[in-house]
Amino acid sequence: MIYIIDHNDSFTYNVVHQFSLYDDVECDNYNKINENKLKKASVIIFSPGPGNPKNYPSSSKIYKKFKGKKKIIGICLGFQQILFCEGAKIVEQRKIYHGFQSDIKVINNKSLFKKGKKFKVGRYHSLKLKEPFKMRNFEITMRCLESKAAMAFENNKDKIYGFQFHPESFLTINGNLLIKKILSA
Amino acid sequence: MNKQHQLAEINNSGKAYIIYKSKKGFNLYTDFSKKIILNNKNIKDFLKKKFKNKTKKTDLFIGFFGYELLNNLINVKIPKQKNINFPKGIFYKPEKIINLSNNFKFKSIKDVSNSNFKININKNSYTKIFDKFKKKIKSGETYQIKICTKYKTKSKINPLDFFARLSKTNLAPEAFMIKDKNYSIISCSPENLITKKGSQISTKPIAGTVKKTKSLNKIKALNYFKKNIKETKEHNMIVDMERNDLSRVCKVGTVKLSKQKIVEEYKDLFHYVSLIKGKLKKDIKNIDIIKAMMPGGSVIGCPKISTLNLLNKQEQENRNIYTGSFGYIKFNGDMRFNIIIRSILNFKNFSEISVASGVVVDSNSSHEFNENFIKAKALIDLFK
Repeated sequence: MIYIIDHNDSFTYNVVHQFSLYDDVECDNYNKINENKLKKASVIIFSPGPGNPKNYPSSSKIYKKFKGKKKIIGICLGFQQILFCEGAKIVEQRKIYHGFQSDIKVINNKSLFKKGKKFKVGRYHSLKLKEPFKMRNFEITMRCLESKAAMAFENNKDKIYGFQFHPESFLTINGNLLIKKILSA
Repeated sequence: MNKQHQLAEINNSGKAYIIYKSKKGFNLYTDFSKKIILNNKNIKDFLKKKFKNKTKKTDLFIGFFGYELLNNLINVKIPKQKNINFPKGIFYKPEKIINLSNNFKFKSIKDVSNSNFKININKNSYTKIFDKFKKKIKSGETYQIKICTKYKTKSKINPLDFFARLSKTNLAPEAFMIKDKNYSIISCSPENLITKKGSQISTKPIAGTVKKTKSLNKIKALNYFKKNIKETKEHNMIVDMERNDLSRVCKVGTVKLSKQKIVEEYKDLFHYVSLIKGKLKKDIKNIDIIKAMMPGGSVIGCPKISTLNLLNKQEQENRNIYTGSFGYIKFNGDMRFNIIIRSILNFKNFSEISVASGVVVDSNSSHEFNENFIKAKALIDLFK
């Protein structure tokens, strides 16, 4: 079962529907977490949402508790949430991407995806990862072609994945394939 | 007796009645046997009610949910605001429905109405709010937010006269009017929020409007929208948000964008619209649908909850009907609801018109302030 932690976003149920194509999904608000579901889940997902990772200490706690024990995936805010827990700084960006379709590229040969492959993706983020960022086992695997901002990371040792863009958006082409690959990793 | 006479007679009798745009013309609902004034306590019972008789055309409740009621229904609180104590929602059970054609006529002696409208937020305060919200976008608390301004005047109007004139210049697909003893509403809403038939549900958000001119045809309008990055981004956001809201109540894999970013042509303007459809999950009730979809996201901003909270903290005056929903619930469970925008509320000898336009990261405060005024002006001009 996949447990999605909703940060009160207006895109979370798109994520729910997308992951439901591959497994049973449960979804609860971040302030109404069910401990049993959390224990039962094989995958935990941190949803997109408004604000900054530091606004969601309960999600950080969950991450630290289950890191290395369960597969963890973060989307948009969730991507930032995981990196924030790993010591990264999350900062405002000069150009903001809301409802934007961007071209991104796989830039790392440690990725599950083929290096050089390009994707068209939908973006809704005010904040971004401050770089340089280096953490053991974490690889930045995709970047925006235009701004070079980090768009995905993978930690294939602990099975932790994050997308700064929205694989569930109608603006993302072949978003389901991305999810399928991460889930079967 | 012909229909024009019937309409005049109903209007002159002082009976309450409602007119709502239908596919071919308008439907007039009257002879109300029940009137339910909604509040936070009775709304759940009202929405959960089940009915035995469901086959007659009149087996339905028609009316509106105000903005505050819809917020409270999803547990969003509104701080104390200036309030004219207009009801939070009213529904009527009609016993009679009359079909009217699109160009129904109504001759009346023109009222002496007052067009001396006052705005509740001047340009200076508007700019301050705008800059504050822009910061909230930069920090990620909201991705898009619509600032609402309200125009008010003292006046006493004849709603049918207003509605007939409004329909002549702007035959909006979700237009309606309500005339009751102590209030009236006139609206040329273009936006359908919920159409539910059996287990099929759809929503048709509008984001992007441009005025028709001699040189601007439908194809050029589409190009205009496609090239306009601000409109495109706003529209994209609304599409993903409405997909989300439908996904709360629909079966996995059934939520589909059936029309993506097309232009619809109306008498005076072009709208940039999308149509999203889905198939309802088995155990879903109407109250679940209303909680998932209302208040309609396209007129609020995104994400819905945090944006509502930002708006409610900011706004000092109750929105009343504005950005609520008008429509009907049939006894067989089918529903149709719009979003209440481009509307005039007349209550206690005052008329009020609310309008809103969006702050996204690259919008400009004086452009949006003027856009608000242009939206209001079409209605204000009816008072002249």
